[in-house]
Amino acid sequence: MIWTIGGGKGGSGKSFITTNVGICLSKLGIRVVLVDADLGGANLHTFLGISPPALSLSDFIKKRVSHLEEVLIPTAVPSLQLLTGAQDLLNAADAKSVQKRKLIRSIQSLNSDTALVDLGAGNSLSVLDFFLISDGGILVVTPEPTSIENTYRFLKSAFYRRLRHSVSSPSVKALIDGAMDRKNEMGIQGPYDLIRAAKGMDEGDGQRMAEEIETFHPNLILNQVRSKKDIEIGFSIRSACQKYFGIHLHYLGYVVYDQDVSHSIRRRQPLVLENPRSRASQCVMEIASKLANSHKAATPFQEYEPQGH
Amino acid sequence: MSLKGIKDQTYYEVLEVSRAATPKEIQRAYERARETFAVDSPAIYSLFSDAEVKEIREAVEEARRILTDEELRRSYDQSYFQIGIEPPTEAPSETPEISEEKKASLAFSGLLFNTEKETYRGKDLKEARERMGVERQAISGKTKISMKTLEWIEEEVFEALPPLVYLKGFLKNYAQSLGLDPQKVVEGYVRSMEESRKK
Repeated sequence: MIWTIGGGKGGSGKSFITTNVGICLSKLGIRVVLVDADLGGANLHTFLGISPPALSLSDFIKKRVSHLEEVLIPTAVPSLQLLTGAQDLLNAADAKSVQKRKLIRSIQSLNSDTALVDLGAGNSLSVLDFFLISDGGILVVTPEPTSIENTYRFLKSAFYRRLRHSVSSPSVKALIDGAMDRKNEMGIQGPYDLIRAAKGMDEGDGQRMAEEIETFHPNLILNQVRSKKDIEIGFSIRSACQKYFGIHLHYLGYVVYDQDVSHSIRRRQPLVLENPRSRASQCVMEIASKLANSHKAATPFQEYEPQGH
Repeated sequence: MSLKGIKDQTYYEVLEVSRAATPKEIQRAYERARETFAVDSPAIYSLFSDAEVKEIREAVEEARRILTDEELRRSYDQSYFQIGIEPPTEAPSETPEISEEKKASLAFSGLLFNTEKETYRGKDLKEARERMGVERQAISGKTKISMKTLEWIEEEVFEALPPLVYLKGFLKNYAQSLGLDPQKVVEGYVRSMEESRKK
């Protein structure tokens, strides 16, 4: 099972969540690989207290090592390993669908139960594709308007990308491309107008788009919450997505703002290991339990086939 | 719930509660929706325009008004979902069933209700009914809408019509009984009613 963690802004806590949820999952008896695919700054190793690794996925792809397992970095936690260098395959400059598939196949071939892929704050097409192709995409957002705005931007891009992929008519594809710009001259204000316009052009494509919406269920984690009102923002985001996109966003949970988090990062020690009784650790553990439970129930996104440029 | 415009959503969908929601659940959902679509909410400003937010807020208020009043909720359920309406076991001789053939002939005639039509007038509905050779009484018997209300709908006696929430339910049932697209008829009739009021 592959989970991708993306969206939002830099600094919203994606790497912190990836690392600590991964550790909690391994504590629950699940074999986990953390995959660093952050184009903006891959540093999951620092969150785990490991020096910059000498080997990465690139060494396997470029055949400098013969087995993928050789580039996996062991950690202090049993059944938790780290794979770095995935961002090289997602680099926008040379992201072809064959490379994305190669990355997926590489991760799937690993001897593990779950992979958690940190996508960073990137918004490139290859990052969007990877988010969509995974079994579950997770958005990490903080209660600030800027973070929410960026998350919507990411979600909107992923949403339209998914719709675009589901249709066959070039004119409907062009319609979707045009609709991305809210000031478009077609008068399409949002997904609702878009589906109506697409049905007018091609009933079959319009229907397929409507079906895609039904099966798109991203997940949401609200990080650094400081009050009950902040927690409610997660429900507001879910509701806004329901009204605007027609999608059901799964609110996985929240992590409270906790000084212990920044202390643990400064000491390069994962919070859930260093201070498992802290409030933030308990929140992370709760989220990990939900992910562990959803393994069986999750709806894979396997229908989505990534495209090239 | 699939992607629908706010006007097409049921009151349950507007508040994102199930049809079996308790009054307490409805109140809680209302409070949450009010907070989500409040002026200072950080969750909406980058997705919705001010006009869209206003429209959603109005729908939320209307949904709460109807669903928290036991009587109004029951009437809404009856008119919208046809709950509690016993289907006629045998059509009386003076209220003949509208045959599927008649519905089909109308649906394919394309004369009265083409898909491009923006508004539906009472006279359009009357013409459609008469074209099918169906008496008003037959529609009343089938839909349980009173004869008087049907007459007001057809003759556009807007001031006598029931509140919009019930009217939509009646129009939906009326359209279905004639084999017409309920959504188009409801939207078209309400639009023509609003246009008429503006004049």
